[in-house]
Amino acid sequence: MSIQNLNTFDPFADAIKSSEDDVQDGLVHVRIQQRNGRKTLTTIQGLSSEYDLKKIVRACKKEFACNGTVVEHPEYGEVLQLQGDQRENICQWLTKSGLVKPEQLKVHGF
Amino acid sequence: MDDEMIFDPSLKKKKKKKTGFDMEAALAGEPSETTSAEVPAETGDVDVPEDDSLDLDNFGKKKKKKKKTFFNLEELESALPEAKDEAPPAEEPEHQDEELIDDLDLDIDFTRTKKKKKKKNLDEIFAEEDVRGGEEQERDEDQNGEWHGSDRDYTYDELLERVFDIMREKNPSMVSGKKQKFIMRPPQVVRIGTKKTSFANFTEICKTLHRQPKHLLDFLLAELGTSGSVDGNSQLIIKGRFQQKQIENVLRRYIKEYVTCHTCRSPDTILQKDTRLFFLQCETCGSRCSVASIKSGFQAVTGKRAAMRAKTA
Ligand SMILES: [Zn+2]
Repeated sequence: MSIQNLNTFDPFADAIKSSEDDVQDGLVHVRIQQRNGRKTLTTIQGLSSEYDLKKIVRACKKEFACNGTVVEHPEYGEVLQLQGDQRENICQWLTKSGLVKPEQLKVHGF
Repeated sequence: MDDEMIFDPSLKKKKKKKTGFDMEAALAGEPSETTSAEVPAETGDVDVPEDDSLDLDNFGKKKKKKKKTFFNLEELESALPEAKDEAPPAEEPEHQDEELIDDLDLDIDFTRTKKKKKKKNLDEIFAEEDVRGGEEQERDEDQNGEWHGSDRDYTYDELLERVFDIMREKNPSMVSGKKQKFIMRPPQVVRIGTKKTSFANFTEICKTLHRQPKHLLDFLLAELGTSGSVDGNSQLIIKGRFQQKQIENVLRRYIKEYVTCHTCRSPDTILQKDTRLFFLQCETCGSRCSVASIKSGFQAVTGKRAAMRAKTA
């Protein structure tokens, strides 16, 4: 039997890591952007790179009946893009599936 | 899409309400939660007296705190069914006013018609206070008599009442201060053509908020995910179509984060830039806290593909 408390484990390791790179503030930013005319686009930035975003986008497309894609950004990493205003949908879905804690979500826009 | 737009603000409102109450919920949750959180901490100490275990316990505490606040949010929400129900999805200005009045989470008013109701509210509150105060005084006298007569210990309730009476006596503004509102003109938002929006009184609003136009501009554009600039008539021209209500929503968020004090919610604050961070210094209570820096974050490419390719090529 191993005693867990004797293991060298730094509980703040994550905190240090996230403060090092300024971009990943540990939050998932959900934004909305207007496209030409009355169309909109929802972007989700900051999802953990441990998740397979391709799978997530596939599930979202089916669930919200909208198109979507994964964009690789040099600074922000993989970003999810969905057509239309899916902010409410994606927030519910991400918390319900347990991928993101509600307090990690930061919704922007009007 | 238009339907969505109309419904959206009300949805957001509800959300805001949640976050707006966060502080109070956290405060309300604190006394009970510290006691509950201490119990596992103590048992943890007894079991394993290593330093590591202490750290882990602290983590547990943190988690508990978060959970607790959430519960409190729900409780608060359920405790405020009226406010929730009254938020109408319709766009009529009258309803909007009502909504704003109910929206106590942010101490901001974009309407002036409000005053009437506010007065009434205040009067009611004062009346209530008077009644309560009267009752308490009577009770207090009784209790004081009891205390003086015997050498028994004070009960917790008696002490609590005593403390609140002293607070009311010494600081009468505190009683009404909670309802003190920050009255502001609503943003004047007009569409220009089909693709642009004018925020006509942008500079005026910056002045009322005592904030640099550039700071508010950065926030607005980052939140709306668009571009824009202030023109010669000191109005802000934003790319895209936005309704007054939507701009108002963003303004509320700005005021909550960058204008009102995070501790006492007083709007009498100064925003200072220190090295790379912005600090909000309160002139009323003297608290100073760092505020989030404005980042527009990821911006999707929305223009025509051809134009984009032409640019990069
Ligand atoms: Zn303050």
